[in-house]
Amino acid sequence: MAASLTGLLKPWTPRVFLVRWSRYNPYYLEPEFRKEVYSKSEAELTAEEKEQRELKVIRPIKAATHGVNSSVFYDPVVSKFTNMMMKHGEKTLARQIMTQTLETLKRKQVEKYHKASEEQKEEIECNPYAIFHQALDNCKPVVGLANIQKGGKNYQVPVPLTDSRRRFLAMKWMITECRENKHRRTHMYEKLSQELMAAYMKEGNVIKKKFELHKMAEANRAYAHYRWW
Amino acid sequence: YLYAHLRLSIFPLDTGCFHCSERIVQLPSWNGFVFVEAVVFIFLYGFQLVSSLFVSFQACHSEKHVGQFYTVPPAHVRIVFPYGLPRRYIEQVKTFNEACLMVRQPALEVISYLKKTDFSKPALRYVFYGVRGSGKSLSLCHTVHFCYTQGWLVLHIPDALRWVKDCTELLPSSYNTSRFDQPLQAVEWLRNFRTTNEQFLSKIKIKQRYVWTKREFTEEGSLLGELVDQGISRVKSSSDVVGALMKELRLQSGQPESNFRLAVAVNSVNALWGKSNIMKEDRSAVDPEELTLIHNLRKLMNNDWTGGAIITTVSQTGSVLIPKSAYLPQELLGKKGFDTMDPFVPVSVPNYSEKEFESCYLYYMDRHWLQHPQSLTEDGKKELIFLSNRNPTMLERICSSL
Repeated sequence: MAASLTGLLKPWTPRVFLVRWSRYNPYYLEPEFRKEVYSKSEAELTAEEKEQRELKVIRPIKAATHGVNSSVFYDPVVSKFTNMMMKHGEKTLARQIMTQTLETLKRKQVEKYHKASEEQKEEIECNPYAIFHQALDNCKPVVGLANIQKGGKNYQVPVPLTDSRRRFLAMKWMITECRENKHRRTHMYEKLSQELMAAYMKEGNVIKKKFELHKMAEANRAYAHYRWW
Repeated sequence: YLYAHLRLSIFPLDTGCFHCSERIVQLPSWNGFVFVEAVVFIFLYGFQLVSSLFVSFQACHSEKHVGQFYTVPPAHVRIVFPYGLPRRYIEQVKTFNEACLMVRQPALEVISYLKKTDFSKPALRYVFYGVRGSGKSLSLCHTVHFCYTQGWLVLHIPDALRWVKDCTELLPSSYNTSRFDQPLQAVEWLRNFRTTNEQFLSKIKIKQRYVWTKREFTEEGSLLGELVDQGISRVKSSSDVVGALMKELRLQSGQPESNFRLAVAVNSVNALWGKSNIMKEDRSAVDPEELTLIHNLRKLMNNDWTGGAIITTVSQTGSVLIPKSAYLPQELLGKKGFDTMDPFVPVSVPNYSEKEFESCYLYYMDRHWLQHPQSLTEDGKKELIFLSNRNPTMLERICSSL
């Protein structure tokens, strides 16, 4: 496209090209943003890592995405969830909601912890990140359904899901559930913290949705051979 | 190093006296050595003030305790601070199941001055100032708690900005037609005043006759408690009751026959001389001078009365139409305010020092508030210092989501 337009727009070429969302040439390497990788000395590197380092000297590297940072508190799952919650590009609002959710989760648990007796204290999980990860893991479906057309009819065929698809489905269900099925006047962080806590305890609407999907897949087990991949 | 932090806890003995003890486990090497002794301070004070006798006291906080936390007993929290603490701090108290305040240099300075005040001279004015979030309100609360434990009568206005912003009900004043009343705010403040100063309500007698309406009046010689109840039950005249209360206390506090010390504590005192958010019916702005509550409070701020002290803070947070970068008293009080408050003792409240930051960090660890595994490492701590710049509010906000 750039080649056809250059003839028409001769005196002017844009200085800045959008690079990230057009497809990078596979020649480009992924950026390494974690600090601990660079603090390793020569002796600790394995053979593969040494090869990687050789490559990085020669090959060009993609630009890093916006939300990625080398902070010790960076969590890729939390970052992905924040991006999925974002509307109209308002990252500050999405991030604020995320921090408030984690804070609410922690507050409830720490309050329970301080009021509990000694034996109960060990069972209470106070780490909001552990609760968040565990809740999302509990929501991830194992099999999904794909729409396959055979002999003029559409069948829902049970299909294995990739890890990224499972993670995406869990997050999507969580966010849509909180946006649509809760009371209008509660804040998003309250709704999210309630739903995450329920998912952590394996209750709640999102877990129910996952089990319904599993039941549908089990019911349509007979059509599993329609899948050809 | 085994990091531990220092805790002071105040708990009552059965004889009615209080003592506070330090439980020191092990210190990191700021001082270069580890001390394991326990130091116990004993001090006496009575809650029942006999009519013309002041119980002598030594409060247990001194220079040695800078950076340590002390626990406010739950009973005190309910009585002294029914509506005095910053919002996030109240949530923290609810979560941790205890109210712990850090002993810091500015509050200690003001407390030491209060201990040495000459009550026959006019009241001294102390102003806490500092950048946003540096701990001015909590220093004020610490001082107020100290005054309460010493048996002073505490007139605590937790947020003068609430009287100057977002007022839904504004009545024309019955006493002076050019002024406006704020019944809801006045009633709320009177209720809190009653909770804090129960013991004085049945002891102080008012010296003047007040007529509220054709049929309601408060006789000379009746108790302060009746005046306060009159204000709470008759909402319409509550602002005037507040004014009468302030006048009575101001006149009586220096007299030889009165047996109380008056501590006036105002948070965000720059609201009295700033601009207000409230509009009259014809959409013109209301000057704070035209509000009865503010008018009466300004009279209290003058140093023409004896027998107590005035402790205030100036803050930009929440103030109306003032730039964010202003934090010095002169910028925030404006010309009129500064002329009224001058001379005052300015007390700067800085961000946490290294020792105080360590102490706060260890307190959060002890209360299981820092849950992220990385926040317990050295790198995590360095990042916290960098992100918050040792500002107390910023540190609290960052740690709450970690």
